[in-house]
Amino acid sequence: MKAALVALTLAVAAGTAAAQPASTLTVYAAASLTDAFPKIDPSAKYSFAGSNTLAAQIRQGAPADVFASADVALPRGLYRDHLCSKPVVFARNTVVVIVPKGNPAHVQSAYDLRRHGVKLVVANPGVPVGNYTLQVLHKMHLMSVLKNVVSRENDVREVLAKVALGEADAGFVYSTDARTVPGKVRVVKIPAWAQPNLRYGICVVLASKHKAAAQGFVKKVLGRRGQRILRHHGFLPRR
Amino acid sequence: MKRALLAAPFYAAVVVALAFLTLPVVALFTRVTPAKLVGQLGNQVVTDALVVSLETTLIAQVLILAFGTPLAYLLASRRFPGRPLLVTLVELPLVLPPAVAGLGLLAAFGRLGLLGSTLDALGVSIPFTQTAVILAVAFVASPLYVRTAIAAFQSVDPDVAAASRTLGAGPTRTFFRVILPLAAGGLAAGEALAFARGLGEFGATIMFAGSLQGVTQTLPLAIYAAFDVNLDVALAMGALLVVVSAVLLLSLRLILSWQPSRQTSRSLFAPLS
Repeated sequence: MKAALVALTLAVAAGTAAAQPASTLTVYAAASLTDAFPKIDPSAKYSFAGSNTLAAQIRQGAPADVFASADVALPRGLYRDHLCSKPVVFARNTVVVIVPKGNPAHVQSAYDLRRHGVKLVVANPGVPVGNYTLQVLHKMHLMSVLKNVVSRENDVREVLAKVALGEADAGFVYSTDARTVPGKVRVVKIPAWAQPNLRYGICVVLASKHKAAAQGFVKKVLGRRGQRILRHHGFLPRR
Repeated sequence: MKRALLAAPFYAAVVVALAFLTLPVVALFTRVTPAKLVGQLGNQVVTDALVVSLETTLIAQVLILAFGTPLAYLLASRRFPGRPLLVTLVELPLVLPPAVAGLGLLAAFGRLGLLGSTLDALGVSIPFTQTAVILAVAFVASPLYVRTAIAAFQSVDPDVAAASRTLGAGPTRTFFRVILPLAAGGLAAGEALAFARGLGEFGATIMFAGSLQGVTQTLPLAIYAAFDVNLDVALAMGALLVVVSAVLLLSLRLILSWQPSRQTSRSLFAPLS
């Protein structure tokens, strides 16, 4: 019985594998890289999601060749467990508060988020942007705004969507995400002293069957053209 | 000899189908021991999600029964132009991708939706509340009930209802004393299916209601959030949902086998004429 099931699964797998070219590179990248990465290499296949979701999938044996995370902790964890190469920082970013067009809750600064009834959306702790949000709130002594949270999302783009739709009054995202929906959201800046050390790490997945191509992709991201594209999308240089 | 030759692939197919359908469920329980499952019941995230799930699903079921039963009775007992179209519209949420259901609910009841400004004027805001979860569950689960209920009402012998009327019972009395008891088995079957579907609702809820522990985070949403952070908790909640759903399905089977009348539809998916 087990053999029959395994055979069936293999047959299904073979059928689907034949349908797609096996040589394309698969890049697992943070949701915030959704717009920038395909410009750097349009031929690669991308899976964009919360970095922690992607890291969990790689731990479960997902067929990723490259992992680009919105922090360095997650790729470092994979490196420690011999699942990916030593991560390299390729970009930096900042956290901002966004409000929908029209600003229904009249949020002018992060301190206004304390006001009763402001519908705030944040990412889950564990998702990089969720961790950064907590760091910002901690530095600004604003942990009390968490009582206004109406939803915790699984990646930064879900936070963006809830605010851009106008359903939430405010949300914490990266400054690069806010730029992708101009006219739909307004940015309320977080002071520089409250910004977390927000670095993006990239590594080659050790189980990859296309390691050379994966390293080539990392080089492209770190190269002059890749860095220029990232800067064009609002990311800060890796220093 | 020939019969044996045909029987072999037949039984092989049955075995593969059974193994395929049971393996994922069995595999879940190989990773969650009963002790672990019980232990997770002390986890606040798990209990909060269980309470939110049961609460919202139960309220949605009351709404589905209260509004779905008259609708199903009308569609079962009257013939009028446009009826097939109406039945299709009622059944549509059943086949809609949950993400589309979520978008639709936002477009209708969201702050910028069709009814948004009206609701806003009344001081009501639905997204991110338990009301949103209930609406999402009711939207995706009601077709299962209504569809089964139509079949149940249609299978009630019209002569019995006519006899009741001849004996002097009014239409209301006939409905509650004759038709409803005769259709009860089919209605219960539809209700159990809708309950199970509501308990598993995910896509429309996460888009329309968001996810907040103790408020809108149902068990499926909590499983999704825990998957990246703590796989053990996710597995335990998954096993919990399997147990609850299995108990539901089993009680459904019992209800159906206890039903004395064979007049009502025993099939969950009796064709709609």
